[in-house]
Amino acid sequence: MKNPYLPELATITKIIEETPNIKSFQVVFNDHEKMKTFKFEPGQVGQLSVFGVGESTFVINSPPTRMEYLQFSVMKVGEVTTALHELHEGDQIGVRAPLGNWFPYEEMKGKNILFIGGGIGLAPLRTLILFMLDNRKDYEDITIIYGARTPPDLCYKDDLKEWESRPDVNLILTVDNEYPGWDKRTGFVPTVLNEVAPKPDNTIAITCGPPIMIKFVLQNLVKLNFKDDQIITTLEKRMKCGIGICGRCNIGSKYVCKDGPVFSLAQLKDLPPDL
Amino acid sequence: MTELGFLKKENLVEFLKELATKSVVYVPVADDDVVAFKLFQENSTICLDRPANIPPKTVIFPQYETLLTFTFSKKEEQPDKIDVKIQEKMDFKDTVIFAARPCDAKGFTVYDRVYKDSDIPDPYYVGRREKTVIIGFSCPNVSPGCFCTAVGSTPSDKEGSDILMTEVSGGFVLEPVTEKGKAVIQSKFIEDGSKYLEEAQKKQEDVKNKVKNPFKKAGKPQISQEKFNDDSFWELALSKCLSCGACTFLCPTCYCFNITDENKIWEAERLRSWDACMFPHFTLEASGHNPRPTKFHRFKNRVGHKFLYYPEKYNGVLACCGCGRCIRYCPVSVDISKVVDELSDTNSENKTLTSNGGEA
Amino acid sequence: MSVDKLKDAVKQILNEVDIVIGYTEGFDKVHATPLFINTQDKVDQLIWDQRCVHNLASYLPSLKRKKVGVIVKGCDSRTIVQYIQEGLINRENVKIIGLPCSGVISLKKLLKAVDFANIDDITFEDNGNVNVKTEKETKTLSLMDIAPDKCKTCQYPTPLIYDILIGDPIKSDKPKESVYEDIIEFDKKSLEEKLAYWQKVFDRCIRCYACRNACPMCVCQDSCIAESREPHWISQRATLTEKFMFHLIHTVHLAGRCVECGECERACPMGIPVNTLKRKINLEMKELFDYVPGVNPDDKPPMYTFNVDELKIKEHKIG
Repeated sequence: MKNPYLPELATITKIIEETPNIKSFQVVFNDHEKMKTFKFEPGQVGQLSVFGVGESTFVINSPPTRMEYLQFSVMKVGEVTTALHELHEGDQIGVRAPLGNWFPYEEMKGKNILFIGGGIGLAPLRTLILFMLDNRKDYEDITIIYGARTPPDLCYKDDLKEWESRPDVNLILTVDNEYPGWDKRTGFVPTVLNEVAPKPDNTIAITCGPPIMIKFVLQNLVKLNFKDDQIITTLEKRMKCGIGICGRCNIGSKYVCKDGPVFSLAQLKDLPPDL
Repeated sequence: MTELGFLKKENLVEFLKELATKSVVYVPVADDDVVAFKLFQENSTICLDRPANIPPKTVIFPQYETLLTFTFSKKEEQPDKIDVKIQEKMDFKDTVIFAARPCDAKGFTVYDRVYKDSDIPDPYYVGRREKTVIIGFSCPNVSPGCFCTAVGSTPSDKEGSDILMTEVSGGFVLEPVTEKGKAVIQSKFIEDGSKYLEEAQKKQEDVKNKVKNPFKKAGKPQISQEKFNDDSFWELALSKCLSCGACTFLCPTCYCFNITDENKIWEAERLRSWDACMFPHFTLEASGHNPRPTKFHRFKNRVGHKFLYYPEKYNGVLACCGCGRCIRYCPVSVDISKVVDELSDTNSENKTLTSNGGEA
Repeated sequence: MSVDKLKDAVKQILNEVDIVIGYTEGFDKVHATPLFINTQDKVDQLIWDQRCVHNLASYLPSLKRKKVGVIVKGCDSRTIVQYIQEGLINRENVKIIGLPCSGVISLKKLLKAVDFANIDDITFEDNGNVNVKTEKETKTLSLMDIAPDKCKTCQYPTPLIYDILIGDPIKSDKPKESVYEDIIEFDKKSLEEKLAYWQKVFDRCIRCYACRNACPMCVCQDSCIAESREPHWISQRATLTEKFMFHLIHTVHLAGRCVECGECERACPMGIPVNTLKRKINLEMKELFDYVPGVNPDDKPPMYTFNVDELKIKEHKIG
């Protein structure tokens, strides 16, 4: 019987400082064979171990189409994330992955895709964006609305630059307030969503960000006539086991770690409001 | 499997001694009036006349256990880097739980669906569970707050036991339930028990008739979704709750846990320890956000888990065996059976509800 | 005292406050349970007798933003006095209904007295007799034989602070010296004996924190050292070391603050005499600082103040 609690040893090959409190870690399994055979789907998560400190859950934000490494982005907020931030390239961590479900990208084929992200909430969207760009012909228009508190708080600045330059991606960036040197939009993401007012026809909207942002984005999407099954979000909860047992990440009978983290608004409406 | 055995009362200790030569044997022991399952010793003050304060889930799902150990060493070629060796701690011994009350034995079946019969089984639980023989003990009487018959069980329910033992005059009738149980009563202390069958059945029936049903409506409780989602109900019903973990830690079906790393200098271990959905830390996120911020949210989830969410996943089976401990030992007498009764759907016929109120 | 007088008082007070906390029938004949009354129609559920063991004052800090009426016994009133000393409640938001009390039952002692039989009925007589009907027998017990230890040496049968007192004040007939007699006696044991005793009883601890959550003076709330990871004081192992550590820190945090309501011990589902530790340290505080918690609202707890010269601590005297 496989031990689901046993992490795979991995080495940090690169650390990218995304923002003042977010770092991205590129890791490869020490076992090269495992790296070659590792399979996951966009949206799935992993548990990262700092041995002796603990585990924490992060989405794999590199796409399965680019398997040189797995990338995780970590905001420094608690015990494990602080310990992760103290690590260096070449250090050992543990990885339990992949866990959870994924974005229904097959069902999205032939559709317009609207991504709405806030802060580090771009991480789970990034894996799907890159996956779709690597399979660009399968999808129609791709629009990305992304915001953060200030310009330095925007994640994946290299990606943003690339997406901005691509003619087949419509990237709309915003920060909360005016900022020296910022000449793009200002305002909260849900407000910018209203301004952009994307059409719901043949479109799937995917959103992730802080709980309060998600709440208003969902409301605004409904107002823009998006149907519940056209709206997808990916949730974050405190998790421990990652296999739907330990009991803390449930919303009703669904466990975010196993049955999620990806839910359509239609699915969420069937669950108690414990977000 | 009907080969009934009979164990004379005076042979009880000898029988346990014999079991203890082959297995680790846990028995309910009274110490300062507190009954708990402890390792059998010849002078153990075995207590059969009232249920243990804490169920024998401690044997298969201990309060804490080491899942993994980590050993650190400096990399020789690169002394600023650390190598990690991970070891799994799995060393499970043949074990017997003697005189588990039927509600406690049944509690393990609630665990089984989640830990054993799932697509991702838990090897620590399964390891212990498979090596453990459970000798159930038909309740000789009822206890304050217990309500097993109202949640689809009886004080002589065999589900979860490998053997069911019933006290009759002069000894105990042992009814094997599984092959594992059958093997255990191959002992020189066990005689043929068929002539005691009638007495045992009568005793079981007598006790069963004494169990109180706290629910106004017959049949398994059906929770009304409308009442369940009414926050004001919870605020009033739970004002007195202290948000401690007594109810969950004493519950034979509560299985939530925490995983933490505990560090020494050159080694560390990853522990699993009991956790309780009634604790605010349980769901508190590092950002400070808590999806279940108050005791009302937390108790709602606790009741939801036992009476809605678990049944939704597992064919309508409730995650409550009616042992009554959470009622009996609650410092302020929060009564889950009363809460469920007040939530029950007085309009509906008996049908299984999903958590959104639809029919399963 | 008739319970009707109490109900009348609560009906009155309910016009001025959001909630009144009292007692009602519990799940069986021997249990009362706290009752939160927010509407007049619930007043009739009130009961008052020797089963009303809970310290209802404990709920006050969590209801600080509301106007609350609370029913207190003499011992419970010390909690309110201590809350006032420590600034944990707004006195003007609390209406205190005081009830003189000559003792309550200890469930644990009662069950032991009837050999853990199921109790079908229990009645209380004015002369201190308790009639208990079990499946097997009907027994008359003396209340003081089945009362918690705190009742046997009770110095404050009448609440020390109240807005309304229902019933005639009762004067304590228990000698002052008796309060810590059991602690002094226990202390005479050898260190080895005491260690063995505490090892035995704390081995049972399941870290459910019922003692902590039932304690009216535990103010760290959700930041308890027992669960905190930052800083990381105690591991989640459940060995004696962790259990001792938690209980001793709980004890030390209550030095000169514990109002000896005994809720910690009453709440413990594993029958651990946790109040003994707290009373031991209170005895020390009494001897050192001549301070008794929860008696005078104008006092300051000794651990809240610092004097270079402590009259009773000679070795700390400077010069």
